[in-house]
Amino acid sequence: MSALPCAVIGTGQTKYKRRRELTLDGLVREAALRALDDAGLEFTDIDAVVIGKAPDALEGVMMPELSLCDALGAVGKPIHRVHTAGSVGASTAITATTLVESGMYDTVLTVGYEKQSEGNATWALSGGKSGGQGAGGTFAPWIREYIARSKAPEHIGWLVAVKDRQNALLNPYAHLHIEDISIEKVRESPMLWDPLHFLESCPSSDGAAAMVLTNEAGVKRTGKTPAWVLAHAKRTEFSMFPGRDTTRPQAGVECAEALYKKAGITNPREQIDCAELYVPFSWYEPMWLEGHLLAEEGEGWKLTDAGDTALDGSFPVNMSGGVLSSNPIGASGMIRCLEAADQVRGACGEHQVEGAKLALGHAYGGAAQYFAMWIASAELNPEL
Amino acid sequence: MGDLPVIDYTLSFPYTRTTGPVMGPFLTALRDGQILGGRCGDRVLCPPLEYDPDTGAEVAPDLVPVGPGGTVTGSTWVSTPTEKHPFAEPFAFATIALDGADTPLIHAVKAPGPVEAGTRVMAQFRDERVGAITDVYFVPEADAVEQTIAPGDEPVEITEHLIGVRIQEDLYPFRKRYAQALLDGKILGQRSPKSGKVYVPSRGYDNMERVPMTEADDVFLPDIGTVVSFTEITPIQYHGQTETDPYIRCAILLDGADQPVTGIDIRDLRPPEFKVGLRLRCVWRPPAERDVSELDNRMGAIPEGVYERWEPTGEPDVNPDELRGQAW
Amino acid sequence: MVSRATTLREPVAVVAAAQTKSHRRFEDAEPQLIMEVVNQVIEQSGLDRHDIGFTIAGSCDYLSGMPFAFVSNIDGVGAWPPVYESHVEMDGAFALFEGVVRLQLGDIDTVLVIGSGKSSPGTPRNVFPLQTDPYTMAPLGLDPISLAGLQADAMVRAGTATERDFAEVVSRSRRDAMSNPFAQVAKDISVDDLLAEPYHTTPLRQHDLPPISDGACAVLLARGATAEQLSDNPVWITGIDNRIETHHFGHCDLTTSPSTSLAAEKVGLHDGPIDVAELCVRYSPEEIVLRQAMGLADGTTINPSGGPLAAHPVMATGLIRIAEVATRLANGEGRRGVAHAASGACLQQNQLCVLDRERP
Repeated sequence: MSALPCAVIGTGQTKYKRRRELTLDGLVREAALRALDDAGLEFTDIDAVVIGKAPDALEGVMMPELSLCDALGAVGKPIHRVHTAGSVGASTAITATTLVESGMYDTVLTVGYEKQSEGNATWALSGGKSGGQGAGGTFAPWIREYIARSKAPEHIGWLVAVKDRQNALLNPYAHLHIEDISIEKVRESPMLWDPLHFLESCPSSDGAAAMVLTNEAGVKRTGKTPAWVLAHAKRTEFSMFPGRDTTRPQAGVECAEALYKKAGITNPREQIDCAELYVPFSWYEPMWLEGHLLAEEGEGWKLTDAGDTALDGSFPVNMSGGVLSSNPIGASGMIRCLEAADQVRGACGEHQVEGAKLALGHAYGGAAQYFAMWIASAELNPEL
Repeated sequence: MGDLPVIDYTLSFPYTRTTGPVMGPFLTALRDGQILGGRCGDRVLCPPLEYDPDTGAEVAPDLVPVGPGGTVTGSTWVSTPTEKHPFAEPFAFATIALDGADTPLIHAVKAPGPVEAGTRVMAQFRDERVGAITDVYFVPEADAVEQTIAPGDEPVEITEHLIGVRIQEDLYPFRKRYAQALLDGKILGQRSPKSGKVYVPSRGYDNMERVPMTEADDVFLPDIGTVVSFTEITPIQYHGQTETDPYIRCAILLDGADQPVTGIDIRDLRPPEFKVGLRLRCVWRPPAERDVSELDNRMGAIPEGVYERWEPTGEPDVNPDELRGQAW
Repeated sequence: MVSRATTLREPVAVVAAAQTKSHRRFEDAEPQLIMEVVNQVIEQSGLDRHDIGFTIAGSCDYLSGMPFAFVSNIDGVGAWPPVYESHVEMDGAFALFEGVVRLQLGDIDTVLVIGSGKSSPGTPRNVFPLQTDPYTMAPLGLDPISLAGLQADAMVRAGTATERDFAEVVSRSRRDAMSNPFAQVAKDISVDDLLAEPYHTTPLRQHDLPPISDGACAVLLARGATAEQLSDNPVWITGIDNRIETHHFGHCDLTTSPSTSLAAEKVGLHDGPIDVAELCVRYSPEEIVLRQAMGLADGTTINPSGGPLAAHPVMATGLIRIAEVATRLANGEGRRGVAHAASGACLQQNQLCVLDRERP
């Protein structure tokens, strides 16, 4: 036997700014109700709920599925909670997908969220102690290593920072709307962790993203435009060990290989129409293009430099504005998967890539050691 | 000389909770000496909710006063209260059907002894009220006193909660020996009995081979090594952060080790003098001044409490290309 | 709600299981506990670690007092070369649920499931209020023991149980734990002696509460023919499902557990007799609620290990129930059994896993 087909038939997002007018309940409900509305369904149509978020200490609520279950209409249903660090949003979407693929549950609601304004992520990343270096401090040496290896010019990071913020202007949900974003503005923003400037880093956002997933019968019954989950993959490696390649983690390479193989993709750069990659710091765009086999080693930054990853380029990346424009941590990975789904559903409005049929959603977490990826497809059996 | 630390810290943060369209008025009313319930279909729920708890369906906010009197429907006598409880002395947690509400509120009752179901109780408001569920408590009706509550000004839209979890444990066995070695001015690692690789500080096991390691696997390492990666940190301010000025945090591959020691703070060297490939030697503090109190079971490798600085050895730099795969 | 059994398309079996001793305070790191049980199930099955299809672990950052604590737990599993794995911030029993789901896809054959936790560095009674409603309950320090007290009180008042019934659960559990090498609290003590103890949180006494424990459990799942290759006595999972209730406990009838009854229906609990049941009885009254909600017959042996009242390594406790039932059935102590896991206070979320020596 094999996995049953599973499709996204509804998506919902909140505005990703600081949400002072909402409770935690209100935040997740805003996304969930929008996703249900998009799918033309109600809570009573949902068979199981899968939620994901980053550490409980970010909001000081332990095992929040227990206090959010009734707000998510999950009373009397199974509820499941995923936590895989920064990759959690995508991992959560994947777990929800497997519930449908297994044939055990017909229609599943999945929600990823973070209300960063309730706590402080740098505090949490520092284990609550002084002297934390933040995520940027962890990644900066690896980025310098990438630059040294690839001989990429320094403006590549600035280009990504500008391109993603320009895309964000086309996405009403994006946190940052920097109308006058420019290379100069990025370059002149404070240097936080050499070579990363302030504007090359992600913001701290509140927000939730939700999707309704269902099987073939559910797609037929609702008559909604589906995004079929053609394939998904996850891989993990240790954070630190002798000989670890931190700029091109093997787990990321193997995750991509497994994903493309499952989807029947032999030339990802050509066959995939666009990608939402988890890029919390500008340089991770070229690093993941290479690290996930979308460009040859040392060539990723050339795609960025040539404008190929722009919205109107040959391989658009982070059409929504990406993590650089909105980072509700626990939702960030789910947003990548959701945006990939909406691209192939043709539901992305102003940041739609025309004719997108196959889109990649991706997230990574921890010390660039957790990877979760999926391929959304307009067709159940696409001709590749 | 410093002592081996016994870990005892409180992971705490002043969380802020935004209160939204239902909890906000509920908490505002508590601050102002009133309890509100919320209509949900033909029931009045207390506490009020933004949704129907059975179905998740939306409920338009429709808040009505309930209490301040009510009837205990069930209770438990807490004979040994915790530091998180509303009272230091024994008290009852009870389900209280407030007058006008259809669902009981779980709250604390201050009473001389166990509170039977059926007991009439009355809300009492604390002198200091912040817009929190703890602004109120209950007492048996006979013990209630008349209160005059002056309402506050602004609606309660955001509340602060200092949430702390106290953690107490000893250093793990290897960490104990490692910390003692630092106090002695030495760096202790472990050699994997399976692969022969040397880890410092060790975790007490080899995760690559999945074997535990013991004291027999301990090895001392020289206090000389090579910078393999670094970050210049501009401290971001957050709760508990005491750093203010920029500094370098680096990883040093000690001679003979297979994995760098990370998180070493450098305050007296700067790029371009400080760079990947630079050879450094640890200059220890005098024995009496060495302090390893920063070490716990997760964070910290070679704390600043044991060294004065890391000084260049004067040897030629190591070619960074030879350090590939050690960037940390 | 559509009432139909949650069906498994692919037969899945427990082929190996291991647990650590329940330690009052384990002096080393949590990954060491994990390494111990993972190495054991790998040895039992004869499987190469690199051939495991998927690994899924359950643990809790808040118990460790450290955000992202779960990241280092992978040390005990092994993640080089890279592995296909995931993590839930739930008891290992719920991780096992995800493992069973994952095996239904038919593309992998084995899943390693882990549950681990060290409660000893913190004070569970001060940590667990953070599971309750963050606006109306957590600020009161409303802890699971007090909530268990309210549940027990509701039962006594409704006449569904007496304090003697609670003590009988404890007496039997402690006596049964004497033959469980992993148990932390084991003693031959009479009901009358227990009832002579003072109250802790009325109507509960100290012995009605679980011990504070550190420990880990690992279970290896395999599907179909692979299960039969890896074990001479695979124990098949014929149904698994969980259901949750509102966290506003004031709205609930605490003397019953409708979510457990619903899960029982979904897993086909009553399709045949149940020889052995391991229930996640963290507070003695919970056993009485669960027996009634599951409709367990008198012939069912309940918590022969002593249950969580004898050993409660939070995050592994639920998975240990599955390991216990599987091990007993594999050893011929019955044909069909059920393992229960719970999350939250007052049995808020309940999972049932039905196990059978016969392949479905």
